[in-house]
Amino acid sequence: MTGDGVLVVGYGNALRGDDGVGWHAAARLAGDPRLAVADVLARHQLTPELAEDVARASLVVLVDASADGGAPGSVSVRRLQPRPDAVTGWTHHLDPAALAGLAGVLYGAVPPVVLVSVGVASFAGGDRLSPALRRALPGVVEAVARVVEEQGRA
Amino acid sequence: MAREITIDPVTRIEGHAKITIRLDDRGEVADARFHVTQFRGFERICQGRPVHEMPSLMSRICGICPVSHLVASAKACDRILAVEPPPTGADLRRVMNLAQVVQSHALSFFHLSAPDLLFGFDADPDGRHLLGMLQANPQLARDGVGLRRFGQQVVESLGGKRVHPGWVVPGGVASPLEADKRDRILAALPEALAATERTLAWYKASVVRWEEEAAHFGDFPSAFMGLVDADGAVEHYDGILRVVGADGGLLAERHDPRPYWEYLGEAAEPWSYLKSAYWKDLGYPDGLYRVGPLARLNVADRMGTPRADAELEEYRRRLGRVPASSFHYHHARLVEILHCLERLEALLRGPDILSPRVRSRAGINRNEGVGVAEAPRGTLIHHYRVDDHGIVQWANLLIATGHNNLAMNKGVLQAARRYLRGDRLQEPMLNRVEAVIRCYDPCLSCSTHAIGQMPLHVRLLAHDGAVLQELTR
Repeated sequence: MTGDGVLVVGYGNALRGDDGVGWHAAARLAGDPRLAVADVLARHQLTPELAEDVARASLVVLVDASADGGAPGSVSVRRLQPRPDAVTGWTHHLDPAALAGLAGVLYGAVPPVVLVSVGVASFAGGDRLSPALRRALPGVVEAVARVVEEQGRA
Repeated sequence: MAREITIDPVTRIEGHAKITIRLDDRGEVADARFHVTQFRGFERICQGRPVHEMPSLMSRICGICPVSHLVASAKACDRILAVEPPPTGADLRRVMNLAQVVQSHALSFFHLSAPDLLFGFDADPDGRHLLGMLQANPQLARDGVGLRRFGQQVVESLGGKRVHPGWVVPGGVASPLEADKRDRILAALPEALAATERTLAWYKASVVRWEEEAAHFGDFPSAFMGLVDADGAVEHYDGILRVVGADGGLLAERHDPRPYWEYLGEAAEPWSYLKSAYWKDLGYPDGLYRVGPLARLNVADRMGTPRADAELEEYRRRLGRVPASSFHYHHARLVEILHCLERLEALLRGPDILSPRVRSRAGINRNEGVGVAEAPRGTLIHHYRVDDHGIVQWANLLIATGHNNLAMNKGVLQAARRYLRGDRLQEPMLNRVEAVIRCYDPCLSCSTHAIGQMPLHVRLLAHDGAVLQELTR
């Protein structure tokens, strides 16, 4: 069984259309037998309180909406480098690299952290994904499962 | 020539606000005001909604203290249904409310205020952040993150979500507590207690550096208001509303605090969206009073739990029976965290805490209801009127930050007069003016607004509006 020690965090605003894709993905992944022993969380933001969970994990997969110009529904997967120097603000949230960096500084451990980004069509109010993101959702789930499986083989 | 200094936005608070400081012809501070610049309108948004939706709807007011709004709203709904929650339902509401006080106080103390206390009010703002704190005092940073995490996990394990849980409902709570969840919370409590006591020890050793600030950060006589239980101990869920004067003398005890209109007035000014509550007998604006951790400790005879009572004894030995400086909100906040953890443990070890009887059900039996509870920042009042079908016709909310509005304005003026000199702005003096506001931990409902960065932008204006100086960080 894969997923032991794996932490998956889908995050975003579940009431802002496609920004909630992380929540939708987390809901599907929580019931996916391939991740039966993984911890799957849905969060509005990445907060400092997640640092301990990150430090304890063997692999962290973050799922987020991206407005960086990718086509709606496009999925990109990339490994992040921890950046403790990015922990500078006094807000309630951190970016993914800063969270990884914080885990290292606070708790002395940083597992591999992978960000799965999904291109969005709309951030309009509402708890439903756009048609493009609804079609893309199975691919998002597959991308996360693949990352976890690859880690399990490594 | 009269001039005006604007701090916009005020940083490291929950929400959006600005401070305006007006200088007179001699360059001395003539007036200072704390403006809340965001408008929410929840009293209108809820009109036309079924009363059973109110707790869930009202919890959306804030992402930091949603549980307080859930609790006050559910208590108002209990009145409309004319029901009392079963004892276990009430105790479970208490547990969730206490957990929220822990996480909210931890956010205020460790994230927002500790950088000033650790590095000093004159320190370079570029170094006053979480990473700097990690490097300077990693244990303090870990304790802060850990305490907030503990509070959030308790809220999440009870309500299914750590932000905006819908578990507190009219008549009680939606589902009983499960044994494994109780046991997980109890297992995490010793570390939370240890973290709080480490922080209290650090604070008490460090605070001697800030005697000058303590004497000018909202240090003035006023009344204080908060809930106590029948034995005079601090109470966060339900009890007697007690008001004491600056000398600790009893001004009032309301065994039924719900008819708040009999003793509290509400005033609005054109320069802020935050209304000011005042003690009616003294009128506006003389009827200034304070709520929140400092006030709760000042009105109570005791904390009601052993470790917190020992800390209260030391607190009073150091600061007197009724400390007047708002600087001591920080210390009071830590004592309250300790109390909340102890109380939470006592409630979870109660013999009936796993009882399945957690909710009373009824239809609409009254057309009006008021709920009063203590939020992290002070007394919270929800007041609703409904038609015979339970549709909300009118609502009024009196939040802790509104109770403290007059005091915050007075504190800003006091600090500005003490620290601002002439017509040139320097960061340390502006930080001190902001820091007065942070003592109160005002909650301006950041949850739906904050986009992250809230830079400090200060402008010094001539009387004709010309910009004399501009600072940004």
